[in-house]
Amino acid sequence: MSRKLKDSLLNSITYLCAFLGVLVLGSILIYVLINGLKLINVDLLKNDYWSKNYLVAVENDQSSTFECDGCKGYFSSKWGVSFIDEVTSHNEKVISVEYIAENSPFEQLTSLTAGETYGQIVPMEKGYMIEKIDYIDSEGNTAIAGKILKQDAQALQESLDNASSITSIYMKSPGGGIRGSLIATLYLILISLIISLPIGIASAIYLNEYADKSKINRWLRQGIETLTGVPSIVYGLMGVSVLFPVTTVFGATGTSILLGGLTMAIILLPTIIRSVEEALIVVPQSLRDASLSLGATKSQTIFKVVLPCCMNGILTGVLLSIGRVIGESAALIYTMGTFISDNPVINGPATSLSLMIWSFMSAEQPNFELACAISIIILSVVLILNIVVKIVGKKLSKNFV
Amino acid sequence: MDTCFNVTDLNLYYGEKQALKNINIDLYKNKVTAFIGPSGCGKSTFLRCLNRMNDLIEGCKIEGNILKDGINIYETKTDVVELRTKVGMVFQKPNPFPMSIYENIVYGPKCHGLKNKAELNKIVEKSLKQAALWDEVHDRLHESALGLSGGQQQRLCIARAIAMQPEVILMDEPTSALDPIATSKIEELIETLKNDYTIIIVTHSMQQASRVSDYTAFFLLGDIIEYDKTSVIFQNPKDKRTEDYITGRFG
Repeated sequence: MSRKLKDSLLNSITYLCAFLGVLVLGSILIYVLINGLKLINVDLLKNDYWSKNYLVAVENDQSSTFECDGCKGYFSSKWGVSFIDEVTSHNEKVISVEYIAENSPFEQLTSLTAGETYGQIVPMEKGYMIEKIDYIDSEGNTAIAGKILKQDAQALQESLDNASSITSIYMKSPGGGIRGSLIATLYLILISLIISLPIGIASAIYLNEYADKSKINRWLRQGIETLTGVPSIVYGLMGVSVLFPVTTVFGATGTSILLGGLTMAIILLPTIIRSVEEALIVVPQSLRDASLSLGATKSQTIFKVVLPCCMNGILTGVLLSIGRVIGESAALIYTMGTFISDNPVINGPATSLSLMIWSFMSAEQPNFELACAISIIILSVVLILNIVVKIVGKKLSKNFV
Repeated sequence: MDTCFNVTDLNLYYGEKQALKNINIDLYKNKVTAFIGPSGCGKSTFLRCLNRMNDLIEGCKIEGNILKDGINIYETKTDVVELRTKVGMVFQKPNPFPMSIYENIVYGPKCHGLKNKAELNKIVEKSLKQAALWDEVHDRLHESALGLSGGQQQRLCIARAIAMQPEVILMDEPTSALDPIATSKIEELIETLKNDYTIIIVTHSMQQASRVSDYTAFFLLGDIIEYDKTSVIFQNPKDKRTEDYITGRFG
């Protein structure tokens, strides 16, 4: 009886803990999804973060009137352009262009900004935000309209319909996108893996295949284990002081993706060494014996027989590494920087998605929605990369099953 | 009669423990020599000395001489890789590489730099035919070797060893993991292989030793107690301990 009681008690504890675990993880996921999902769209992924400002002139030739069939916003039949009220990912109310009719004067805008671009044609696209429009109304007075007067789309459309000619338009391209940071994150993953994978695999091979059981090797192994537990911010410090001079060779002048990648590569080493070593241990000694007895050299044995058998371990290392890189923030603050770059280059500053979350949340007014949206994107990137790595791994290890 | 190995005063230690004591033996060319004896008597250890596979074991110390064609294989200038191409080995458990059958066979030649496709194909066919496996696998050479049965896998391992064109094939209890039918196939194979190769086989089965071998050495506690023609050992042993062992009184 008491044994039965004990049994059911232990069982219920197991179930309870498992349930709690699932509940906690699930609720985090649901919180993130609820808050972030409404901000997720293609524009978020493909847009620049910084919006560009344009001051443009319109060709004032309105011989025809325009029509719009499916416009939800406010359509100015005189100018052939439709406006709509929108809220950006930074909780800003804006008037953006919903539709531009064919042959509308708004199709051909010329830049009024002084400098090289003066007089060049600026293509207006859907999503551009109208800040201010200077115009001359039907009575010949100059007037202004737009967001700057706290107008909404309807008011702007009414003002424009009343305009006889437009002097200038001040508009912004849609910003708030994370394309640059997404690319920077992928660069970061690529750089850190390219550097740490060969070094990590080679170290694991040394430790498992070549190293004898001497004291030095025991210390070495212990050291690697310890590295796993070092806080990543310490690695960041080391990156700034030790690795920065290395990156200057490649033209970096301050924080850069390269510096972040190098730092991450070092952070990843223990993980990769560990997972590859564990895979090496599992490879049966009989396969090594077989290879050596056929007159293969040690390195041939390792590279032709042992390593291919470790494909799964290497893949595990890669997957763990991707997760680690994408989730890392502390070590990257001073190495990669928090500047959001729309066109990231390897030796220039940029920010990763996780750091972006940190930036948004440490701003004066934390932007929960955007942070959650980025979290969702991070999760999806991890998921996609995992699937890709698994597929590639299956292809690679096809012959060895 | 030509000898293949001349072993003199061979002592082997695993750390403090002495596993082989003062071994002196001449192994003959193109004959099948069987090593018999109870477990832990050092016969496998001795076998692994002949292609220096014991080098891989930490704490293993070897004294004495093993002359192959008049050259001591334990001299420092000996090329171990070269030695192992001449002295092939088949292990207790079938251990094909997790690759295709074809790749298993060409592994050795490829490691030695052979790249010519036609030549590799020829080697595969010849080795598999010699190992009496060709008929069974010729239509699925590019399938995984792990899909073969245990007996087929062991014959594949023999074919793999043959592909290197060795002079000697060492077999470490090659049939202990196989069923009787697979065993008899391997034994037939050994019979045909001895025309081209010197075969040294470790076995636990006295019947097997008497069936396949020309010479038999009886090991006990790291010593060779008796070494003679198989017929002499089994019908007319000189030592009491040999007689006791082969009549099944111990071991």
